[in-house]
Amino acid sequence: MAASVDPLVVGRVIGDVLDMFIPTANMSVYFGPKHITNGCEIKPSTAVNPPKVNISGHSDELYTLVMTDPDAPSPSEPNMREWIHWIVVDIPGGTNPSRGKEILAYMEPRPPVGIHRYILVLFRQNSPVGLMVQQPPSRANFSTRMFAGHLDLGLPVATVYFNAQKEPASRRR
Amino acid sequence: MEIPEIYCFKSESDWVATLLCQNPHFVAEKHTAMAIPMAMATPTDSVSRVLSMSSLRSALPSAASCRLPSSSSRRPVTLRLPVSSPSPLTLPSFSGLSPVNPLISIGLPDWQSFENGFKIVDGGGRIYAMRHGRRVPKLNRPPDQRKALLRGLTTQLLKHGRIKTTRARASAMRKFVDKMITMAKDGSLHKRRQALGFIYEKQIVHALFAEVPDRYGERNGGYTRIIRTLPRRGDNAPMAYIELV
Repeated sequence: MAASVDPLVVGRVIGDVLDMFIPTANMSVYFGPKHITNGCEIKPSTAVNPPKVNISGHSDELYTLVMTDPDAPSPSEPNMREWIHWIVVDIPGGTNPSRGKEILAYMEPRPPVGIHRYILVLFRQNSPVGLMVQQPPSRANFSTRMFAGHLDLGLPVATVYFNAQKEPASRRR
Repeated sequence: MEIPEIYCFKSESDWVATLLCQNPHFVAEKHTAMAIPMAMATPTDSVSRVLSMSSLRSALPSAASCRLPSSSSRRPVTLRLPVSSPSPLTLPSFSGLSPVNPLISIGLPDWQSFENGFKIVDGGGRIYAMRHGRRVPKLNRPPDQRKALLRGLTTQLLKHGRIKTTRARASAMRKFVDKMITMAKDGSLHKRRQALGFIYEKQIVHALFAEVPDRYGERNGGYTRIIRTLPRRGDNAPMAYIELV
């Protein structure tokens, strides 16, 4: 029998970026009409704008959403692991990230080489974060674990990831 | 040794399934702990999974966590458990390690017969349950083309780190990728020249020989990982990602 059938473990999301956790919240992510399931393939051209994320939960709970790429610049040599794309904090439960505070503006996936995983992680906050966190100095070499530790967020409550690769410059005939 | 396979999808659009484990070296000592069924529906099972996974976390960064079953002779059974629940981790539980009775398989299409030599009709190609006498994957090509295809695929995998291809090609490639990395681990001039004769781009060979000792120094074999994914739209070919571990 395989070690685990959980797609997050199979895709090494748990291991490279996160630690093992039990999902307690629901998060549904849509890029345009496309619903994101673990490991699905998304073209960077559809991911130019931030996705619509619906978070379950009560409106008195606050959530933090982080989007990272652990395969920057290339999956065979991830020197800049992880590359952070988006940080939004203080999202009230049951809404979407536009109601939260965007610490780091959304950057679209631009994988130069290979197929990259893009991971959206949702944490539940114990208290409003507000001004406690500033923008990270650079997008490269981010660590989700350290970010969660710094803000005392604990383990994630929901995660989803998708794959993206560079689109060919010219349309194939 | 046996490499059993399990398919599992959580919703009809979520296919990412299993780990074709390349790493028998890392059979964990926590094997008995993981004899707990892989059911993730009940919280107690999740907790037990969390406990045993956290104790294995030290092994996670360097190894794919992988265990082989205690029952070594088990025919490969494709087991599909469709679930319509929103949470990605809940599955209906099934009873432990006893071989799945095909008569009570849940929602399984295309069971042709129930004897030992049943055949599985899978997307057009007929696959038998046994592999007697099959030494080399032919990939529907004459030998020269086959060699060229495999050379090209290993070159691309070493260049990009993760590629998406058909499952047959991905599992045929493993041997050659492992060979290239083993040559790089050896590092001598003779091996370098042999690698240059196989890989199409010489920068990749030089980069490989430079980086492999750091990256794969402690790992004994199993340098790739295959993740199955959705079939290709044009011809319903089963696809897989293959990546360097």
